[in-house]
Amino acid sequence: MEQAAALSERQRRALGRPRTIEAGQASLSLVLNLIREGRATTRHELERSSELGRAVIADRIAALMDLGLLREGELGPATGGRAPRHMRFRADAGSILVSAIDQSSIAVGVADLSGRLLFEHHEAADLAEGPEAILGRLAMLFAWMMEEGDRPAPWGIGLAMPGAVEKTGVPFAAVPVMSSLQSWSSYPFVERLITRLGAPVWVRSGVQSMTMGEFKAGAGQPAPDMIYVKLGRSISAGLISEGRLHRGAEGATGMIGHTRIGDAILEAVAGADALSHQARTAAKSGESRYLTQALERQGDVSVVDVGHGAQLGDIFCVELLTRCGRMVGEALAPLANMLNPSLIVIGGVVAETGDSLLAGIREAVYRLSHPLVTRDLRIVRSQMGASSGLVGAAQVVIEELFSPTLLQGWITQGSPLRHPDFLALHARLAPTDPGQQP
Amino acid sequence: MTIAGLGPHGERAVPANQIALSAADEMEAHRRRFAVAAVLHTTTSDWSKQELAGIVTMLGRYGAAVVEVVDCGFEVAAQIAALHRLADAAVDAVISIPIGNAEVAEAHRAVTRAGKSLVLLDNAPTGLLPGTDYASVVSTDNFGLGQTCASLLSPHIGEGGLVGILGYANDFYATHEREIAFRKWMATLRTDVTIVRERFVSPERAEEAVLGLLERSPQLAGLFAVWDVPAMKAVSTLRGTGRELAIATVDLGNEAAIEMVSGGMIKGIGAQLPYDQGAAAATATLLALMKAPVPPWVALPGLAVTSENAVEAYQLVWHQPAPGALMSSRLRDTSTP
Repeated sequence: MEQAAALSERQRRALGRPRTIEAGQASLSLVLNLIREGRATTRHELERSSELGRAVIADRIAALMDLGLLREGELGPATGGRAPRHMRFRADAGSILVSAIDQSSIAVGVADLSGRLLFEHHEAADLAEGPEAILGRLAMLFAWMMEEGDRPAPWGIGLAMPGAVEKTGVPFAAVPVMSSLQSWSSYPFVERLITRLGAPVWVRSGVQSMTMGEFKAGAGQPAPDMIYVKLGRSISAGLISEGRLHRGAEGATGMIGHTRIGDAILEAVAGADALSHQARTAAKSGESRYLTQALERQGDVSVVDVGHGAQLGDIFCVELLTRCGRMVGEALAPLANMLNPSLIVIGGVVAETGDSLLAGIREAVYRLSHPLVTRDLRIVRSQMGASSGLVGAAQVVIEELFSPTLLQGWITQGSPLRHPDFLALHARLAPTDPGQQP
Repeated sequence: MTIAGLGPHGERAVPANQIALSAADEMEAHRRRFAVAAVLHTTTSDWSKQELAGIVTMLGRYGAAVVEVVDCGFEVAAQIAALHRLADAAVDAVISIPIGNAEVAEAHRAVTRAGKSLVLLDNAPTGLLPGTDYASVVSTDNFGLGQTCASLLSPHIGEGGLVGILGYANDFYATHEREIAFRKWMATLRTDVTIVRERFVSPERAEEAVLGLLERSPQLAGLFAVWDVPAMKAVSTLRGTGRELAIATVDLGNEAAIEMVSGGMIKGIGAQLPYDQGAAAATATLLALMKAPVPPWVALPGLAVTSENAVEAYQLVWHQPAPGALMSSRLRDTSTP
């Protein structure tokens, strides 16, 4: 209540002075982001970095503390006078809910406002169940996670979805997802999620989210120029260039599965389905002893079994994965020549199969790339697995929430949930959701 | 049974029976005489004893020694202190069951950074990465156990019944997975069932949670307790109040098994195989020590146990003959026409 009273007084003082409000919002946003990103955390550092006066800095810090966005941190070392007090961003002021959905699994997580994943859960799912079922499952898992941890309200939801996600310049825009599938094309998935969770939703393609996640928290970081490759049923890639995710004109960067290798499309010969098909054939013909036994034991075999077989030394499995790796490497080499990354991370279910695949990729990339390009190039397997999609989705939400333009729209309200544009969107969408009807 | 759950980073499971040392690995292990420490949440439970038995047997087979066993007494601080100490100790590897989540992440990371191999039991604290921060997680399929319990409890719940979950209030991956799976199974296959939940902070205080559930939902028809100790607390609490409920739980503890076979409230149990899990963790540790490829998630299926197969399951789980109380129940059962 005290915070609200202090804020209303501040807002009252600003009434009739729109230019001051705008300037105030801008300086509040600047100070918050300087502290949040750790670029300046003491009053002195803030004055120097923001070029704002001492009194303004003191006022903005007080306002941000009133809004619950900052707290006083520890004392820094004294350099002649009083020891400076570090200001810290309150990463626990809100939660970020994240989900990475692909053809065969759902991952969900909750992160704090620094993007640190606090909880994650992965389970098998089938997208063919349709958007209503997936939405219901997602809402149930989100509700459980929020209740389980007694967490602060979600300030945003990050989704990593299969396929390209179109770019829009409109804040809080509810973009269509999975529109290439008929059952999903007309379903307002994002809109429903917004109304059911009461928080804004940002969506990126699965591979772009995973790329962000690997860039932020992967074992290969820091690598400001990197390529992430997802080898699953589909094959796609994400690109970080000079520390920023490259999305492309239509948000469809990295569809390398459509690259032609010899007479075939890469995805059709090196995707998980293609490998599973070859594994089944070899199991039935007896070409692979390991797969034949696995087929008898389980009734079916998949790319996962090929990986197990390779690790146990089955020649067919080793050769299949090495061949697959070479084809992926042949598609990657032109990208390496073009973009000169320092790191290529290989992820997805096919990457879990082990070292034979990685050896094939390395062999082809090194063979087909300029020596300067490969001099310090590392090609590694992802250690984050599907967690990278969750970390990346959280990072996307944070970048959006705290982008200067959006931040200025909510900072004086203390929460993005009170951003006028989001409130308007929520009011517009709620009556259209049957799940929200009384 | 197949593995229903995915790993801590969404990995597909590698079944525990698929990881093994090659002949060359065996020779190298014998030659290097590794020293391994085990850090457990407790050493007094039946589960821990069997887990440890599996670890020491498998390590002993290949010339490695368990040089220290730490009992953390369920205390996060004790685990953190033990791991930091072991990071500087003369051990080659640590097998640890993380107590909690984020709060123990750094301490586990410290072990790997000190150059030791780290194999985790049951879960990886959020933020730790396989390969970088640990070698492998060796776990029972906790998601599968939750599903098993739901399927075992379901026949005892009437149409439109109310089922309570006795959940663990601490941030513990294994019990979370069981609860999520139980809820999912019910939401998918028993859409008529309504779920309510109460949480307990420690097994000793499960009674409060049970009484809370009964007060809030007097028409309760069944209960899922996330492991056997709180389940048995629920049994005694219910008896004290004169209530009878169908209960499903995880872990084939003595008391729960006897309660089940004697026709009591426990109707079904999803059992872990702690000896086998310990043995698999030891194998993964040896592979990691010799820099051989180790899957990031090695899983063991659970076992669905009812009074019909309790004795056989007991032998599989505990590697010893079933107690007399269990046996006599079985004999009585088989003699009934």
